[in-house]
Amino acid sequence: MNNLLQFVIRYSAFILFLFLEAVALTLVVRYNTNQQGIFQHSSSVISGKLYKVADDVYQYNHLQTFVDSLASENALLKEKVFNLERSVQRLLPSDQTIDSCVLESFHLISAQIINNSINQRNNHFTIDKGRKDGIKEGMGVISEQGIVGIIEESGKEYATAVSILHSAVQISAAIQRNGYFGSLVWKETDPAHMILEAIPGQADIQIGDTIITSGYSFIFPKGIYIGKVEQFWTEGGSNYYTIKVRLHEDIARMNRVYVVENQDENLIRNEQ
Amino acid sequence: MNNRDTFRNILRAIIILLVQILVLKRIGLSSQWWWQHGQIFLYPIIILLIPFRITRHYVLLLGFVIGLVIDMFYDTVGVHAFALTGMAYARGVLLAWLEPRGGYQLTMSPTNHAMGINWLMTYTAVSMFIFCFLYFIGEIFTFVYLGQILLKTLITFFMSILVVMGYHFLFNPKR
Repeated sequence: MNNLLQFVIRYSAFILFLFLEAVALTLVVRYNTNQQGIFQHSSSVISGKLYKVADDVYQYNHLQTFVDSLASENALLKEKVFNLERSVQRLLPSDQTIDSCVLESFHLISAQIINNSINQRNNHFTIDKGRKDGIKEGMGVISEQGIVGIIEESGKEYATAVSILHSAVQISAAIQRNGYFGSLVWKETDPAHMILEAIPGQADIQIGDTIITSGYSFIFPKGIYIGKVEQFWTEGGSNYYTIKVRLHEDIARMNRVYVVENQDENLIRNEQ
Repeated sequence: MNNRDTFRNILRAIIILLVQILVLKRIGLSSQWWWQHGQIFLYPIIILLIPFRITRHYVLLLGFVIGLVIDMFYDTVGVHAFALTGMAYARGVLLAWLEPRGGYQLTMSPTNHAMGINWLMTYTAVSMFIFCFLYFIGEIFTFVYLGQILLKTLITFFMSILVVMGYHFLFNPKR
């Protein structure tokens, strides 16, 4: 007993070290397997607030650029709405207006990125909207240039999202021209490219083809622009194409994003 | 005197943490090849600068806590805590290994002022390398990507050590 006690005292630093490392590794592993909020994230009030203040300072210097890009985006959208309305009106019987038959299933919540990363194995970003603005876990996040992530944890005022540059992300994506779809994953360390897997071998693919969201999940609406085919090949012996997609959005520079709320999904959930 | 030093050390630690979270993390937001593989870590210098008189247990606990704080801001649960605790333990071993004849002066800290540039370079380089290596092991958490771990470790190590030594030369901390 005395010997044991002496052993413990003598190696107490080492034992403490092993204990702390075990705790840290448990955190790493538990967090990797089930993405539950067992830990304070950047969506918490303290860290969220700090990032918000820092981002405000940063934004102030870049205000004019943001205003310009928002204005041009606005103009583009107005143009699109106008043209769509005209073409829809042409298809409708003359006694009906558009408003009576438009299905509003997706609702967009505008938000700003206050913290972001691209050079880790699993990247996350934080936005300045949270539960009180209607952000819930599992909602998709898009920008004007394409998809960017999925909400992972929603705090009261801030929310953390898994970036599409995350090793566990899988997004259902399709080739716009012919509708073949597969799952989009991030495998490398390159933030400008993602890999589209499991496209059937008979699909006709060309370099430069547009990749969009397939709409086969509730997270993202159909037809959101993701990127272009840069390269494609078949893995040895496999009957499926693997496609290297160049992302249209520069994840490192994105700033304004929209969180997609799918009201169809809420309806389905309520019915169940 | 003693209290004032402790207070100054804590204040310095907070400022370094803020610089790490608000400036150095944001610098990495670039699509260039260099930044895809490397990051800059300045904050381990907090552990490196702890005075000699602090016992190993406190250093270990401090490493763990500071690691968790950084994890909270980097969204990397446990990874920084793992790496920094490992480095904090290595610090004890390293100090014993690098101990000059006659031992350390317990009122001093491991700085250029107290120990000289050669000693400081060895101490910093070995510690920072251990930190970077453990960090990327924790981040990727499998040896399948051994090549990637080594590449990232080397790039991050060189960028970080430049900044850490830069801190020593710029501010020349005495304690």
